[in-house]
Amino acid sequence: MLRFEVNFVDVLPMMALATESELTSLLDDWKHGDPSALQKLTPIIYDELRRIAHRYARRERNGHTLQTTALINEAYVRLAGEESRDWQNRQHFFAVTAQVMRHILIDHARRRRSLKHGGDAAQVSLDEATAMTNERAAELIALDEALAELAALDPRKSQVVQLRYFAGLSLEETAEALAVSLMTVRRDWRAAKAWLYKRVMSNE
Amino acid sequence: MTSRSYSSLITHYSLLITKFMTPERWQTVEETLQAALDCPASQRADLLAKACAGDADLQRETTSLLEAHEAAGDFLEQSALERDAQLLIDSDDRQTRAGTAIGPYEIIERLGGGGMGEVYLARDQRLARLVALKILPAYFVSDAERLRRFQIEARAASALNHANILTVYEFGESDDTHYIATEYIDGRTIRELIAGESLTIADTFDIAGQLLHGLSAAHAAGIVHRDIKPDNVMRRKDGEIKILDFGIAKLIEDANSDVSLLTSRATSRTEVGAVLGTIGYVSPEQARGLAVDERTDIWSAGVVLYEMLAGRRPFSGATNADTIVSILERTPAPLFGDEPKARPLKMLQRIVGKALSKDAGARYQTAAEMLSDLTEVETEMAAGSRKNGGINAETTLVELRELAEVRASASRFALSIATLAVLALVVIAGTVLYRRSVARRSIPPPVPTVYAQMNEAQQLQFINEQEQRVSAMMGERPVKLNDEALRAIKVVVDRYMAPPQPGEPSLSEIYARAPAYLPVIANEFNARRIPIVVGIYLPVIESAYQPCFENVAGAKGLFQFMPATAEHYGVARADMCDVNKMAPAAAHYIADRMAELGDDSQSMTLVLLSYNRGAQSVLEELRLLRETDVHYERNFWTLYANRDKLDQTFRNESAYYVPAFFAAAIIGENPTAFGLNMQPLSTQVPNRER
Repeated sequence: MLRFEVNFVDVLPMMALATESELTSLLDDWKHGDPSALQKLTPIIYDELRRIAHRYARRERNGHTLQTTALINEAYVRLAGEESRDWQNRQHFFAVTAQVMRHILIDHARRRRSLKHGGDAAQVSLDEATAMTNERAAELIALDEALAELAALDPRKSQVVQLRYFAGLSLEETAEALAVSLMTVRRDWRAAKAWLYKRVMSNE
Repeated sequence: MTSRSYSSLITHYSLLITKFMTPERWQTVEETLQAALDCPASQRADLLAKACAGDADLQRETTSLLEAHEAAGDFLEQSALERDAQLLIDSDDRQTRAGTAIGPYEIIERLGGGGMGEVYLARDQRLARLVALKILPAYFVSDAERLRRFQIEARAASALNHANILTVYEFGESDDTHYIATEYIDGRTIRELIAGESLTIADTFDIAGQLLHGLSAAHAAGIVHRDIKPDNVMRRKDGEIKILDFGIAKLIEDANSDVSLLTSRATSRTEVGAVLGTIGYVSPEQARGLAVDERTDIWSAGVVLYEMLAGRRPFSGATNADTIVSILERTPAPLFGDEPKARPLKMLQRIVGKALSKDAGARYQTAAEMLSDLTEVETEMAAGSRKNGGINAETTLVELRELAEVRASASRFALSIATLAVLALVVIAGTVLYRRSVARRSIPPPVPTVYAQMNEAQQLQFINEQEQRVSAMMGERPVKLNDEALRAIKVVVDRYMAPPQPGEPSLSEIYARAPAYLPVIANEFNARRIPIVVGIYLPVIESAYQPCFENVAGAKGLFQFMPATAEHYGVARADMCDVNKMAPAAAHYIADRMAELGDDSQSMTLVLLSYNRGAQSVLEELRLLRETDVHYERNFWTLYANRDKLDQTFRNESAYYVPAFFAAAIIGENPTAFGLNMQPLSTQVPNRER
């Protein structure tokens, strides 16, 4: 009987994905003040994320957890085209990536919220594509707002959270990216987490 | 008071606090919080009372943060993308988990997906046949009329019943899910074949020929594909070429012209390419948004032929807009240099050039015309090998490109000194240059010695070499692993290389545990004449070298025995953590499986597989294979390559077992390449004797 030669690493790419240069130029457009570039990035990012996620999910022998660290790294490297861009250094790369990721996710969450009642067909299809639920959107927006408040109180702690949460960095990598000690990051993280948790919960 | 207004009261209160919190105040609060967190929970109340003497607000604030700290748990511990990735998978799974029924089809697994929808391998329960099931995204099928037109077109192409056109079995709808069931192809896309770099000239003729045959039939019926590209053409294992997705391109174009979709999906035809695929294959008239006819497919076929021959696309740019400009205005770089000497190359160059005429009127007007010219080249190549400069049908395209480069430099030289005598010299120079170029090519750029720094091709190459080394240590007869098999190993290597999950041991921890157990393992495996490398690396994949590890199924110990099996091999339940008892049991168990396997035990990979699931089932798989016409070497990789013919058990679990073993061994034998600070495990075995 015939079947695809299913390679559990690289399944048949039915559709070629956006190339790195296309991603790069969208990012550039956005940096130069074109807010619509962010909206165009969203489906691309999620397509990419879905593809990578499924690939990693298949690798798990028992299929219960996701090998996410590798996943995140791959997504970010592709998103930022690490090799093809002129990053001043690793810190710069991570800082920009975290910021971009935060903007993309929050922007999507906000549009989801504001368009929810309009029945916008495009938004509905995008929501389908990104699997973003109301709860998830609310969660992201609340976190974003709390993070902005934290930034006013304690910029470094908000940086730590941004790097950890939006760029997926470990404590060690965060320490490296911010050029502070691991101990400092650990302490910043636990305090920031408590503060944000309290802040976000009080809004529920 | 309702709970709603109560909670908004809290919100206001909390906002008030935040509002009055200054960076300075926060610093005080944080210092108190950190001090409290640093001391044992039992002493926190005392500490707070002391630190906050006379400042009730500080005490309240810190206490609530301490409570938040306790309650936060894994809040934010999973990064945003991780969270979203999990959500994506969960939502996809909900929609189409294996075993889910969509209409009469039962989903087996996901094959791929993208802008045009997810594709699944499924079984038609009425006919018990496998199909490729494409689920159309909701936004493509929201317009009933558009969907109907699409179905007519796709059905029409399929109805041609042409060998080179994918057969569409059925369009259907089930619970608002629109799907297409098509013939299921056992093969690869031309995109994958190009990337594999193993295509020969003969392959290229064959692929292009069949592609043109299929197009010719479709065009005769008035059907234009509009999206011919290497991803849409597959080669089945038996060599038959299939054109996929007739009608889809039109559907996408129509869908994207809908205003409602413009906001998020794409804002212009150009950007449709960015989201949906590749712009490099569209014809000039398509790029301009003009009406198209079958000659647009001729153009795209020309692009595919060019790419197969040259290994690069004729039109490309840093952005889609640049690519479009290139399509509209530029002549692609000549395939084989300015003036290829060999006649077949000259002819090929002309054919591609004609197919890629900007003006549709100057192109081949039919696929049949182009096919006829191609056939002529093929004949030429088969006939006059002398004139062809050593190029024949078996020349791989990579070789051909190298030859073409040499010729290009040689012919430029020839132009400056145009005498016959010198032309003769040129031939010699060409040969020398060719040799030199081959020599230059044979000195590869320095390959990184650290796995993580290699690119994917280098990693696969590395795994290839190391697999052979480990195989040799196992006494396995050398076989050449195909790309798929190498990737199966690579998957596990990469998984090992990924940072461990919380609670999981790191790679270096796992390997650092091994040396303590190596003496007893080596002794016992030597005694039973089983290659010790098997004993060394089995515990890595079985228990991560934890002598008392117990899995969910109840298997336990370094070598993961089920209690009943352990007892059978003389290890009491209570002794399963004892390596001195488990190592001999494992060697004994393997020796028994080898006896059961008989002749097939000469392949250690089959022995490994029988360790995983018993010798009888391995023998059964081999018997199943024998019934087919497979004449390969009997080893795990043969089973792996034919796993579709075997049972589900083999596919799910056993397919990864032997690759995982090789991954563990490759890492353990090349510690420095994987950043491990240790000697290769096999060299740490005392008194090594075989």
